[in-house]
Amino acid sequence: MKLSFKGGIHPLRELHEGKGKTHSQPIRDFVPERVCIPVDMHIGTPSAPCVKKGDLVKLGQVIATPVGGIGIPVHASVSGEVISVGPRQMLGKTASTCIEIANDGKDEWVELSPLGSVDSAPADKIVQQVKDAGICGMGGACFPSHIKMMIPEGKSVDTIILNGAECETFLTADHRLMLEEPQRIVDGLRLIMRAMKVSTGIIAIEDNKKDAIKVMQEAISGLEGIRVAVLKTKYPQGGEKQLIDAVTKRQVPSGALPIDAQVVVFNVGTAAAIADAVIHGKPLISRVTTVTGCVNTPSNLRVRIGTSFQDAIEAAGGFSEDPGKIFAGGSMTGLCIPGTEVSLTKANNGIVVLNQKDAVKKQPTPCIRCGRCVEACPSRLNPQFLNALNDLSDLAGMKKHNVMDCTVCGSCSYVCPAKIELCATFKEAKEKITARRV
Amino acid sequence: MELNAILYAAGVMGGLGILFGLILTFASKKFAVPVDERFTLARDAMAGANCGACGYPGCDAYALAVVNGETTIDLCTPGGQKTLDLLAEIMGQTAEVTEPVVARVLCQGETGVVKPRYDYNGPETCHTAVGLAGGPTMCQWSCVGLGDCVRVCRFDAMKIENGIVVIDEDKCTACGMCVKECPRSVIKLLPKKARVTVRCQSLAAPREARETCDKACIGCKRCEKACEYDAIHVNNFLALIDPEKCTLCGACVQVCPTKCIEQLP
Repeated sequence: MKLSFKGGIHPLRELHEGKGKTHSQPIRDFVPERVCIPVDMHIGTPSAPCVKKGDLVKLGQVIATPVGGIGIPVHASVSGEVISVGPRQMLGKTASTCIEIANDGKDEWVELSPLGSVDSAPADKIVQQVKDAGICGMGGACFPSHIKMMIPEGKSVDTIILNGAECETFLTADHRLMLEEPQRIVDGLRLIMRAMKVSTGIIAIEDNKKDAIKVMQEAISGLEGIRVAVLKTKYPQGGEKQLIDAVTKRQVPSGALPIDAQVVVFNVGTAAAIADAVIHGKPLISRVTTVTGCVNTPSNLRVRIGTSFQDAIEAAGGFSEDPGKIFAGGSMTGLCIPGTEVSLTKANNGIVVLNQKDAVKKQPTPCIRCGRCVEACPSRLNPQFLNALNDLSDLAGMKKHNVMDCTVCGSCSYVCPAKIELCATFKEAKEKITARRV
Repeated sequence: MELNAILYAAGVMGGLGILFGLILTFASKKFAVPVDERFTLARDAMAGANCGACGYPGCDAYALAVVNGETTIDLCTPGGQKTLDLLAEIMGQTAEVTEPVVARVLCQGETGVVKPRYDYNGPETCHTAVGLAGGPTMCQWSCVGLGDCVRVCRFDAMKIENGIVVIDEDKCTACGMCVKECPRSVIKLLPKKARVTVRCQSLAAPREARETCDKACIGCKRCEKACEYDAIHVNNFLALIDPEKCTLCGACVQVCPTKCIEQLP
C-alpha cells in the first residue's frame, strides 16, 4: 500500500511533475572558476570569517568558525586565493558576509581526519564530526544536522526517516543521488542510527521514482532495522510533518518538533554528506543540484558550495529562452532570485528557469469560497478564512486559527481558482506574529 | 367579515406589542446593570475611529481601561489635545499640553529616483517585498511604495503616488498605525512645527548613497556648516535636524546638493 497523508496536491501531473527533463540525466561534476561562499547559509547565528583577503586556502579548509549554540563552520569549496571578504546581497533580507575564492584548479585537500568505517567509527564522536564538517539539512531548510542528532533530555527517538520523497516539482537531485550513490546514503543512515542509538531506519521514497526504490532496496538488503517505505506521489509528501504522518501514522502536535513524535527526519543528501564526513573526513563542500527549465541541457550537477547561479546555468548550456523567473529550489517552495550573481548554498537543491510566458503573474480575483484550499491544506487549516482575517489585519485572529501551523507549502495558492496569493499572505502573517509577539 | 378579521389581527398584535413593551420596560429598570457614568463620558470624548492607536481593541476598551484606572489618559492620539483635556476632566487629573505631531515620510525615493534592484512581481505588500533579497530598491532604507501603510490608515490620509507614499497632513491624526506597519520604518511621527526635515534615512556611505538614489543624504556636511543655530548634525552619513533648535531659516535647504532636505510651507 502506498503511504500518504490527508490533503495535498499533485502539481504538474501531466508533465511527470516537471521532472522528465532531468530524471535520466546522470550527475555531472562542475567546478567553477570562482566561488562566493556566504557564511550565513544555515539557520542560526552566521559563522565568523577566519580568513582574509590574499590568504591561500586549501580544499575543505575552515574559512568561517561557528558562532553560538547551533552554529556550524564553513569550508572552502575550492583551493586557491581569497579574493574578498565582505557583504554581498544574497537572498536574505539584508546583505550576507561572503568569502570569495578564486579557484587555482589544484583541488588540494587539507589534512582529513576520518573517524573510521560505518561499523568502527566511535558512536560518541560522530555528532562532533558532523558539526565539524559543516553539515546542515540539505533538503532546503539548512538546519544544522548535529543539533538534530543530539536528543534533548526527556525525549526519546525510535525512528529515523530519510527523506527521499522529493515531492518538489522539477527537482531530481535526490532521485539521481539515490540511483547513483545508494551506498553513501545507506552508510549515512547507519551512522546516524548508531550515533543516536536508534534501531529503526526508514528510507521514504515517492512511487514516481520506481528505479530509485529498487536500487535502495538492493542497497539495504541484509541490513537489520532498515526498510524502504513507498509513498504516494503527492505534494508536499516530503514536508517533515506530512512525511512522519504518512510513514509512521503519528502526528506532530501543533507547535512541536518531530522529536515529540519520536522521529527525526534527514534528507538523503544530508545522510550522504554525513557518510563522507565520518568515513572519509570530508567536510560538506559540494552538493547535487538540478538545473532545469529553459536551459539548453537540463542537468543534475554536483556543484561546489558558493557557485554562482550564472556559472551553474552556463554549465547547463545557458538559457534556451529569455528567462522570466529563476527559482532557487523548486517552483513550489523556491524563492525567486533577483539576479544570477547570487550563490548556490548548502540548501539549494535546484535551479528552475521559467520563460517570460510562464512567469506572468495572474491577477487575483475575489474569493468564491469553493473550499479547494481547505481540501488541499496538508496542515488541516482553513486558508480562505485565514485570508479573510488577514484582509481585516486581524493577526490575533489568525494566530487563534492556527496560522502558525502553516508550513508555507503553497498547496492552497496552487489550487485557488481565484489566484489569490494565500501562501504568501500566511508567510507574511507568520513573520509579523513572531516579530510583534501578537 | 374581512374587516373584522383585520381588526382582530391588528388588535391582537398591537395588544401583544404593548404587553411586551411593558415587560421590557420593567425588565430594563429592574435588571439594569449599573454603568460607571464616567465610561459613557470617556467614550464620547474619544475620536471614535476604533483605530487601535492606543493599543486597545477599539475605543470602548480604551475608555473602560481609563475609567478603571488601568492605563494613562494620553493614549488617544487621534483625539489630540481635545480628548486629553476631556479625559483629564472626567478622571480628575491634570492634562499636560502636548506637542501636536504628524506622520512624515522620511524618503523621497519615487520611481526613477531610487534605483531598482530587481523587477518585483510578487504579492503586492511591502513586507513580503522587502524580505526578498534585500528588497526591490537598491536603497535598504527606502519606501517600496506597495502600500502596507495605506491599508492600515483609518483616516484616508495616505496614498501611493509615483511609487512612494504621500501623507495628507490635514487628515493625519498621528495615530501611528502606519509607523508600526512599515517594514522599513520609513514613516516617523514628528512635531507639526518641524517644517524643515531631512527626508532620507540612508546610512549608506556617500558613494553608495549616490549610486543608489538621486535624492539620498550623502553626509557632505554642507548643511551643518550653513546652519547658524547648531540645529543640524551629520552622524553616520546622515543629517538630522533638532526641531527645538531649528528656526526654519532654510539655509540648509539651499545648500543641500541632493535636495534631500525639504521645507514645508
